[in-house]
Formats: sequence, C-alpha cells, structure tokens
Amino acid sequence: MSEEKTFYVELMKFYRRSKYILFAIITIFLTWFIFVDLVDGDWGSLENSLENLSVFFHESLWPPNWKVLEAQSYPVCERNWEILCSTGYIGIMETLKIAFVATGFGFVLSLPIAVLASRNLYRDEIAIPFRLLLSAMRTLPSIIWAILFVIIIGFGPIAGVLAMTFYTIGYLGKLQYEAIEGLSKEPLEAARAMGLNNSEIALRVIIPECANNLISQILFMFEYNVRHGSVIGIVGAGGIGYYISTYLKFLQYDKVIALLIILFIVVVIIDLLSIKARSYFIDDSTFKTPYLFGNLFRGKK
Amino acid sequence: MSSVNRVIRASNLKIGYSENEVLALINELEIQQGEIVSIVGESGIGKTTLLKTIANLIKPIKGTLETFEEEVVTVRGRVGFIPQKLGLIKHETVFANVMQGAICNQSIWRSIIGFHEQKTIDIVQEAIEQMNLSDKINEPVKRLSGGQQRRVAIARTIAQRPRLILADEFLSELDDNTANNVWNTMLEYVKADSITLVIVEHNVSRAKSAQRCFSMEKEQSSEQAILSEVEI
Repeated sequence: MSEEKTFYVELMKFYRRSKYILFAIITIFLTWFIFVDLVDGDWGSLENSLENLSVFFHESLWPPNWKVLEAQSYPVCERNWEILCSTGYIGIMETLKIAFVATGFGFVLSLPIAVLASRNLYRDEIAIPFRLLLSAMRTLPSIIWAILFVIIIGFGPIAGVLAMTFYTIGYLGKLQYEAIEGLSKEPLEAARAMGLNNSEIALRVIIPECANNLISQILFMFEYNVRHGSVIGIVGAGGIGYYISTYLKFLQYDKVIALLIILFIVVVIIDLLSIKARSYFIDDSTFKTPYLFGNLFRGKK
Repeated sequence: MSSVNRVIRASNLKIGYSENEVLALINELEIQQGEIVSIVGESGIGKTTLLKTIANLIKPIKGTLETFEEEVVTVRGRVGFIPQKLGLIKHETVFANVMQGAICNQSIWRSIIGFHEQKTIDIVQEAIEQMNLSDKINEPVKRLSGGQQRRVAIARTIAQRPRLILADEFLSELDDNTANNVWNTMLEYVKADSITLVIVEHNVSRAKSAQRCFSMEKEQSSEQAILSEVEI
C-alpha cells in the first residue's frame, strides 16, 4: 500500500473514532460565534446584570405578597371562605376551566382532521392539505391566536378558549396522525379486505387501537394548556395571566411572584397526576402502584 | 363446472410492488367455490403479495384477476383476510374484535353509529361459541394466548360470513398440537359451509392436507417466481 493510501486510511480511522467529539466542538464554536454576532459588541449591557437581578429580587419580588389569596375589596365577597373571592383562586380556576374546555373542544375537532391527514388511510392528495391545515394552526403560537380573538370578540375567557382550542387542534392533530400512522398495518389490511370503508376503519380499528395514545395525548395537552394559560391571559384572554398582567402594569411584582408560585404549584400537581394517569394508558403498562412522587424522577415503573 | 362457482380467476397476472419490482407471474389460476387450496414456497418469494393482490390490497401490475367475477369485489364482507400477525385490535375485547367481522353484514351507517341489530349480536356470540371462547368474551385480546388469539381471528372471519378466506401463515409461531387443533377447526367450518380457503403455509404436511397445492418457485433463468400446481 502506498504512503498516500496509508495516510488516507489512518485519517478515516481517526475521523470515525472522533466524529462525535468533532461535531460537538464545531457546534459549540458555531453557537459562540452566532452569539457574539448577536451581541454585536454591546457587552456593556451584560455588566451589572447579576447585581440588578439581586436588587430587583430583594426590593420588589421577595417576599411574595399573599394578599392575592385574600378577598378582593370589590365586588364584596359573599362566599363562606375569603380565598374563594381572591384573585389567585379566581385566576387559577379560570385558567383551569379555559384549559379544560379548550382541550375538550380541541380533541373533538382535531381527531377527524388527524384521520384525514393520515397517509396510511388516505391518499396524499387528501392527506397533505389536512396536514398543511394542522401545520398552519400550529405555526401561530397560542398567544398570537389570543391576540386575534381578543381583537375579534373582546377581552375575556371566551377569547382564551378559542385561542387555545385552535392551537390545540394544530398540536394535538399532529400527535394524533403520527400515532395513527404508527399503527401496525395488519388490522387495517384485515379491515380493508373485509370491505370496511375509511370511516368504519377509523371508528372500529384506529380509535380503539390508538385509544391509550389518544388519552395520554389529551392529558399532556391539558397540562400544556394550563401552563400556557398564564401567557394568553397577559393579552386579555382571561385566566391567571390577566391578573399577572394587571399587577405588572402597577409594578406590584411581589403579587406577580405570588401568582406565579400558585401557578407553579398547580402545574406540578397536574403534572404528577397526569404522569400517574398516563402510565395506566401507555401500552401494556403493568404500573398500578400508587407511587406518585417516585414517578417524577423515575418515570413509569 | 359453471363459471358461477368460480371464485378466483387469474391469467397472465404479474404481481409485485412496481413495474421494476415484479415478484411473481401467475400464468393461469382458477379456484372454485368450496375448494381448499394451499400455497407453498420460500420466504420473500411473493406468496403474501399474491394473497394481498387477491384481497385487493395491492393492485396487480399486469394481467387479469377476477374475484367473484369482478375486478374489484363490490359486495362487503365476501372476502375474509387473516394476516400472518392476525390483525386483531389488541386493546379491545374478544367480542369487539369479532364484531368487526360481523359489521360487514349490516349497513355502513349502523356500523358507524355502533347501534347493532340483535341478529348481528347473535352472529358474534355464535362465532365466539363455535371457537370455544365464550368464557373469554370480555377479555382484551392482548391477554389471550397465541392459540386463543388465532381462534379469535377465525371467529372474526366466521362472523363476517365470507365466501372466500385468505389466510397468510396464520398458524406460524404455534406449537404443533395447537396449530393442528386450530387448523382442524378451520377446516370443519369451511367444509360445512362450502367456503373457499386459500392458505399460505410453510408446514408441508398441513399444506398437503388441502385439496390442491400450489408452489411458488423461481426458475433458474428468471428473476420472477412462477406459480404452479403440484401433485399432493
């Protein structure tokens, strides 16, 4: 073997051994160069940032103002417990309601679209336009949908429900058609050979066979919508975000942090419950033990 | 034999997935009502493709293929297909799986709404009883053994009341005893109702228990396999 060839073989061996390290180094350098380009020489803006954060945290943010859990002065509270008239409770309940209704509507509307977008059921001429529709609905984040609906129908939870429903259709629809396309082809072939049409196949084969995945996706989407409830509220589409936005305008950051802590606690609780619930529905799960907190760190047992 | 009894007729049929991927050539094939036919041949040669082509799941590349005198079977439920992995809905109960076969015999709207006639429910229960699965009627299929799952697949086909059954190596992965039991049950059923059965089978002795046996083999000079009848 000539010297040139030996060198080439050695070079290829070195490349094969170290390609992942090379890739990591190139990615890190590329990221850094893009960051430097974005900063554009204005490194001064990063100076004192930690100090500013510390001042902001101690003077404005902390301790949280738990008055958000006391009854509002107006309207007068007529309930037995004061907390039920507080901005914290009203906001989080509205967020939960918006997320629940939007997930329900989104699921009902996305499922038929997802069936039509599945390429193992329909030809590309039919499936691709429905995929594009789902993709378009997903392209706009829920906050943009919220702005649109606030403009169209005004402030309040209905705009929030519609915004989240639209986003849910786009997002959930994609998850659903991917689950449908992941199905084994044999039940579909058996049903087709029998002479069942696509609507029957969807109802009799696809939905029962994908049921576990579909339920798991609904739970995930509900949890996602609760998290996003704070965002859409900021533009006036109801929920806890509406109160967060109001306190931000009046520079009451201690109340903002209190509401964020409430939202965080609720999201963690929903997350834990949905991990637990999902594990019952994911495939042949044998998980039946009430091992709630362990799941947070270990996943399905 | 009159043409009314002819269930499958193929001539100069090329099967495969595209013009460039022709798997097999069937010069002449005629299968009559009530015949039990087996197809043997090595793996990947095109036996499953032939069954799927007859079931109208794959379009023929060239040639003529008629099932019940039609190029595409228009009567719902006339053809029953049992894939190699059975194609059962694993999360559903035995009843729901067998019902999937029975709904072919009722109107599309009734089947979509899920409001089944008592007659259909009786057909399902009868098929389940015939396969000795009455005690498992509400069990999810995934909890059943391999042999029981195969019996569910047959019950689904029985409830469908087809005139032609295409079964693709559906007894593979079973021990000899269970496979023979399931096979005998299937034979009893098709013989009693004069149903045509076309089965792809690796087990030679079982293949020879059919009335006619076809072999799919590649000729030395050809890339494509050819289907030819063999003496039993």
